[in-house]
Amino acid sequence: MACKVGIPRALLYYRFSRLWPVFFEKIGYEVKISDETNKATIDRGAASVVDEVCLPVKIFFGHLDWLSDCAVDYLFVPRIVSIEKKAYICPKVMGLPDMAAAAKKDYPPLISPLINNIGGEKDEEYIRELSPYFSCGKKRLKQAWLEAKKEQTRYDHTISKELWIKEGLKDNDSEVLNVLVLSHCYVAHDRYLNMNLLEKLNEARCRVILPENISDEFLEREVRGLKKRPFWTYGKQLLGSAFWFSRMPGRKGAIILTTFGCGIDSFIGNMAERHFKKAGIPYLIITLDEHTGQAGLETRVEAFLDMLRWRRKHYENNFPPYGEYLDTATRDAGIHRAYSCCTSYDK
Amino acid sequence: MLEYIGLTVVVPPMTSKRTIVLGTQYAPEFACLPLKINIGNFIEAKEHGADTFLMAGGVGPCRFGLYGQLEAEILGELGIDYDALIIEPPDKGIWQFVRRVRKITGSASWLRVLQGIHLGYRKACCIDSLERVVESVRPRERAEGTADRIFKQALSTIDRANNNTELEEAAGLARQKLQHIPQNEDMDVLKIGLVGEIYTLLEPFASGDVERKLGRMGAHVVRSIYLSDWVNGHLLGGFFRRKGQEEYKNYAKPYLNHFVGGHGIESIGAGVFFANNGFDGIIHIAPLTCMPEIVAHCIFPKVSEDLDIPVMTIYLDEQAGEEGLNTRLEAFVDLLARKREARETYRAI
Repeated sequence: MACKVGIPRALLYYRFSRLWPVFFEKIGYEVKISDETNKATIDRGAASVVDEVCLPVKIFFGHLDWLSDCAVDYLFVPRIVSIEKKAYICPKVMGLPDMAAAAKKDYPPLISPLINNIGGEKDEEYIRELSPYFSCGKKRLKQAWLEAKKEQTRYDHTISKELWIKEGLKDNDSEVLNVLVLSHCYVAHDRYLNMNLLEKLNEARCRVILPENISDEFLEREVRGLKKRPFWTYGKQLLGSAFWFSRMPGRKGAIILTTFGCGIDSFIGNMAERHFKKAGIPYLIITLDEHTGQAGLETRVEAFLDMLRWRRKHYENNFPPYGEYLDTATRDAGIHRAYSCCTSYDK
Repeated sequence: MLEYIGLTVVVPPMTSKRTIVLGTQYAPEFACLPLKINIGNFIEAKEHGADTFLMAGGVGPCRFGLYGQLEAEILGELGIDYDALIIEPPDKGIWQFVRRVRKITGSASWLRVLQGIHLGYRKACCIDSLERVVESVRPRERAEGTADRIFKQALSTIDRANNNTELEEAAGLARQKLQHIPQNEDMDVLKIGLVGEIYTLLEPFASGDVERKLGRMGAHVVRSIYLSDWVNGHLLGGFFRRKGQEEYKNYAKPYLNHFVGGHGIESIGAGVFFANNGFDGIIHIAPLTCMPEIVAHCIFPKVSEDLDIPVMTIYLDEQAGEEGLNTRLEAFVDLLARKREARETYRAI
């Protein structure tokens, strides 16, 4: 019988949602991914770690807890130090396996390879890290790893080009607003955590742009102007997309979506906020925690969108300030053009 | 060190309630306490006429690495005109660091700069070794507060020292004075290890004076971090080699197997080291939302259970009430005393 490995649907799972499951399937493991976050997940997580950790980590532990009741043989909790050159993830993510080992509950054995790309990406090193955990040969691991990576790249390629837009929302609808949601991927895609914010925005006829929609090359170029490059992957992504977004033409707004206790956002969010203030872009800061009520969030978002629409009506006259690009939708061509010249994903 | 090379140094007034109020007003809400105090310090230094601020940098993953940048932004927005000089750690060796220092020092000669650095470092070492003496004297002294007074005086004489001889003299004198404080030799003193984030460990105001309070409650406190360790390790890239220095991070396995930025791994390592060396308890202090120390906090229960040593974590923020802290410390010290008593009774049987 194949071994069953549990992958918590939290934190960087959202970034590598193809890589890890595909890898385990290729080497013949049965993969169990935990269900989407719900109330019970947060409660279980909050009960199993100290109070001071941030909400996403609590959710992570909630998922671990849920998985450990599912009769899995292993839990996959990688130690992710860095996923790209010269940028870390976050101290808490680095310490996850140790935090899990010290938790009150006894979890199934952990598979926790070290993933550190701080000095550049090296496949050989991963394989060396992974091999003690598996009985199969390095050759097979490598093959599985490469295939999984290919799958992940293909997936990244599709999402990077796809804006979060509801079907039926016409691209040339002049009422459509562009809203940048500045958040880490595990906050933006966790529908329970962010109370379905992205879909709500869609329903309110907004085109949602996430940092992951913007190609890495652009982000890298944007943060190069800073005196000091942020040394966190998410810091770079968020700041870069804030700069990039403020340069795109048209009326627009940004939502800084962060979680309570996020150390990176306390700095980066503040820097982005300053930038938006200077650039004259309306922004809304939403801090999510265990207790947020839906209605409060909805009211704030609605008010924000009303304000954006009001601004557009009052600040824009009938003379096209951007020449031929009269309405928002056409101006977004700027965005789409940005994608069509992005080549890094095609490799 | 900077005065040695001919610059005027404005030392901001001692951190006070006002510093924290100023800092919290302008710093991001969820930023850690050291940033808030830093900003307050800089604003107060400006009031005393400083025009350039000097800040250490870093390359993560702890937030400290971005302090300088964020502070420059915040102060700039307040209309406080500062030149920011940010010393990044010498990640490419000592020479890069020297070059940066060069930028600060301007026309001073290389030799003088190096001498200045060396003197500054020596001062830090002297102060640290005196502090260790103070820590052991404090719980035993007959007249409360003597050691602290001598130490305070020593700080100013050491600060005034202009060369190695003067420094040696000042430090030697202070050490002698400290050793001659009348002490209660046969007192039963608890040993407590103080671990955690560097700023809250070193700045008495930020930590609510935990170290002194514990000393007065009759505990010999040993810190995991002293200033000279940090200056050498972080700023100078381990330029000065030290013998017999305990590398706390080597003790962190198997509890924490990878560095997590800041002093997370040192906290755990020092905790394990203290536990193995007959300490009675560990107090772990950190600013609220400190990322590396949260990891350490999550792991400490395991250390505590495995090595049978009580651990208390104290988070500090701008709202720390003094009495609450006192109560917690007293209760912890009582608990340790009880535990020791019980152990000794057991041994007697």
